[in-house]
Amino acid sequence: MRVQTTEVGDARRRVEQLVSQLPRDGEQQLSFSQPWELRAFAVAVAAHQNGLYDWSEFQLALIGAIRQWEDSAQDDPEVNPWRYYERWLEALESVLSGTGVMGDDELDHRAHTILTTPRNADHHHARRDPVAVDPAH
Amino acid sequence: MTSSEVTPSPTVTLPRSEAEIAARMKALEALMIDKGIMTTEAVDRLAEIYENEVGPQLGASVVAKAWTDPEFKARLLANATQACAELDIGGLQGEDMVAVENTDTVHNVVTCTLCSCYPWPVLGLPPNWYKEPAYRSRIVREPRAMLREDFGYDVPDSVEIRVWDSSAELRYMVLPQRPAGTESMSEAELAELVTRDAMIGVAPVRA
Repeated sequence: MRVQTTEVGDARRRVEQLVSQLPRDGEQQLSFSQPWELRAFAVAVAAHQNGLYDWSEFQLALIGAIRQWEDSAQDDPEVNPWRYYERWLEALESVLSGTGVMGDDELDHRAHTILTTPRNADHHHARRDPVAVDPAH
Repeated sequence: MTSSEVTPSPTVTLPRSEAEIAARMKALEALMIDKGIMTTEAVDRLAEIYENEVGPQLGASVVAKAWTDPEFKARLLANATQACAELDIGGLQGEDMVAVENTDTVHNVVTCTLCSCYPWPVLGLPPNWYKEPAYRSRIVREPRAMLREDFGYDVPDSVEIRVWDSSAELRYMVLPQRPAGTESMSEAELAELVTRDAMIGVAPVRA
């Protein structure tokens, strides 16, 4: 159940070689404040490792997404606040749709389905008692 | 077509809420996996390298505060959602949180029997084993044996084990017991002792 430290360490070094060239938001370390940010990060690296695009393409797309935000939104940060990983997601969408593997429409549709599905649609309701008890002997 | 049916041009990005962005990312990952372009396991492996960056530090600070501040502990056990909000810790979707306290006679373990509901605002990302059917089913059937055999945690027979089922509406975290010999430690030092596994209930806190 545990991954060897060396294996994780090696994988981390390989990933950090990739990301060391990317524009960041002022922090030296990679940092994630929400789970979706880490998923966005991991999916982008996985897609690259599976040969969908060169890392330099992703880098250019990310620079473009950041520039677009700077040009359009930064005057009104209340409406469109700065989020590094939102730009990251835009870059990812852009390179993936460039490869033809994913269309904007199907992504819009899937995201809409997720947002409009009730949180407990396929799940039980709150259970306020233990689901199992192993008594003291 | 009426004007209300006109969809915005794809080049215009409307400001999105955090929940909308999270859903969009989830949709993108699901599409990639459906199309066979990558596997959940491959994404999990990459995420795992960094999982501690979205880690359980917030939960550890909640536990350390409860150990050092009896009034906070009482509020945490009465209403964990509100007590965490005091520390500026909250969820995106407003699900309720409940903290269950380990004592000399009761040990608590958290699972999600149907999927992998997990109190990520305090514990970060769930470990992969938490999501696996092997954990989710066996921890309910034979918690004592599983804790001993899979986690090396021998809960004494004199202690009752309670297993709690997290759902989308209600998520549990364990308030572990403060280890002996930590009387002189500060709240920050105590927080360093508290692991993710201790707050799921599959390990004790060791001084």
